Amino acid sequence: MPKTPNLSVEIGGLILKNPVITASGTFGYGNELNQLINLSSLGAIIVKGLSLEPMPGNPPPRIVETPCGILNSIGLANVGIKAFIKEKLPALHKIKTPIIANIYGHSMSEYAKITKIIEDTEKIAALEVNISCPNVEKGGMAFGTDSYTAAKVTEHVKKNTTKPVIVKLTPNVTDITSIAVAVESAGAQALSVTNTILGMAVDVPTRKPKLANIIGGLSGPAIKPLALYLVYKVANRVKIPVIGLGGIMNYEDALEFLIVGATAIQIGTATFVNPKTAIEVVDGLHNYCLRKKIHTINQITGSLKEYGESNEKS
Amino acid sequence: MLQEKTFITFNRMIAQNIYLMGFRSKKMALLSKPGQFLMIHLVGTQMDPLLARPFSVHSIKDNDILVILYKTVGKGTSLLSLSKEGDTISIIGPLGNGFPLPGKNQIPLLVAGGMGIAPLFFLSQLLINIKKYELKMFLGFSTSQEIVLFNELTSLGLDLSIATNDGSYGKKGLVTDILDQYLEKKSSIKPMIYACGPVDMLKEVSLRAISLNLTCYVSLESQMACGLGLCQGCAIKANNTTNKPYYYVCQDGPIFLAEMIDWGSL
Repeated sequence: MPKTPNLSVEIGGLILKNPVITASGTFGYGNELNQLINLSSLGAIIVKGLSLEPMPGNPPPRIVETPCGILNSIGLANVGIKAFIKEKLPALHKIKTPIIANIYGHSMSEYAKITKIIEDTEKIAALEVNISCPNVEKGGMAFGTDSYTAAKVTEHVKKNTTKPVIVKLTPNVTDITSIAVAVESAGAQALSVTNTILGMAVDVPTRKPKLANIIGGLSGPAIKPLALYLVYKVANRVKIPVIGLGGIMNYEDALEFLIVGATAIQIGTATFVNPKTAIEVVDGLHNYCLRKKIHTINQITGSLKEYGESNEKS
Repeated sequence: MLQEKTFITFNRMIAQNIYLMGFRSKKMALLSKPGQFLMIHLVGTQMDPLLARPFSVHSIKDNDILVILYKTVGKGTSLLSLSKEGDTISIIGPLGNGFPLPGKNQIPLLVAGGMGIAPLFFLSQLLINIKKYELKMFLGFSTSQEIVLFNELTSLGLDLSIATNDGSYGKKGLVTDILDQYLEKKSSIKPMIYACGPVDMLKEVSLRAISLNLTCYVSLESQMACGLGLCQGCAIKANNTTNKPYYYVCQDGPIFLAEMIDWGSL
């Protein structure tokens, strides 16, 4: 009988049973799909971006489909960290998978305050710091496009928590590696690469933008090659684990991210298309490892070969 | 809520660019209520169009076939119209809240604009089944060529009033014109309105219902990525007397009381 492959990975001291994580903003508050999938089979769940106070989000239309992708300008609509802990988190108590809070602040002190609240919330296993949302005026991406401020936010969060801190980077910069290095030096234990890419779409008959906010963030398979390139670049520059995301639709896409250096991956837009995608990716990775006699999934991470190397099957 | 892959049992054009499509799912057929919707994705078109599309349940046939009524308006519906009996589709549903039923002494009145007839057909079937209402339905179409389900609705026993924008059938004008005439003439009765159609029409119907103090439920549409409450994309501005800034069509709707919506924002 073949040995069951070990899919577990470690992110900043947090052990995940497999490397498949649901991406923030595409999995609601964590419990919405409990009738369709076994949430405990996921590596981890990252919930919708949470702010200190509730945020209404941007005026509609907030979402538009573009070829092989989605443009969104949700604007971090969320109930706020306190209401999340009180009203949403209890539904996740029985789920045997780590819950990761994606946090967003309008200022350094807001990031610190949310972090403190999370530090006292046992059920939240780790934090993913959003310094990369393109759809809010203050904070968000503004913090993530400058090495100094990105590092400062990371420090503010780190100072206030003992939980693993993941920082989610924006692709909307000239050199993502300088931000990645700055954030790593400031104490981040992992990086999520990448958030959405700025974009827009126009309705020609009316000459109006298709999003009320004019610009939005592009996600889905349309951005996969770019995301893969950024993960490759970042993973080669930092020592901390990189969590890859951007247009992953199936386990083969996930493998591409692992091969270029990701330790884990996130499923985002694909969940909208098929809510079972994340579970299917877990199964797909499991079967791939079995087929290829790979004992532990970590063996795949960073296994990219050079073009001239021989094609022996491994 | 269920997710299933199933087969198309029929897909036929019943008027210009308007199709009826059926697919088998006994479990979903049993669960579906009028006003609820399904997210439908043609298997094999995973990348472009990327997302599933929401369709309201139009009727249930033989207890196990879900039927949708749709018009080809874009890439997704055009591809759907080309699909054939036996093709595989992926469906998630039933989703959303559905129409609340009228109380004991309330008289329902249905108002449909164009494809808004889709969920109201299912509702009228149910209403007629539970009580022998003298059910009245106002219908607006752009032209006589788009009139669908006339015989089906008549044989259910509905009393139909039809308006067309071009006057090619019934009264020339909007569905709200014939609704106004009726409400004026029958000002003694206080019907409960169920409306579905283009947003401009729903706005007009809602504003009338609010001013006449009538209960009015509208079925709203919005751009939707998931239909499952995951993305918060399908926001509709709430009436500012509520403490919620936005409703989400998929989770809080798609059926709303007219006074819940900030019609000025639409």
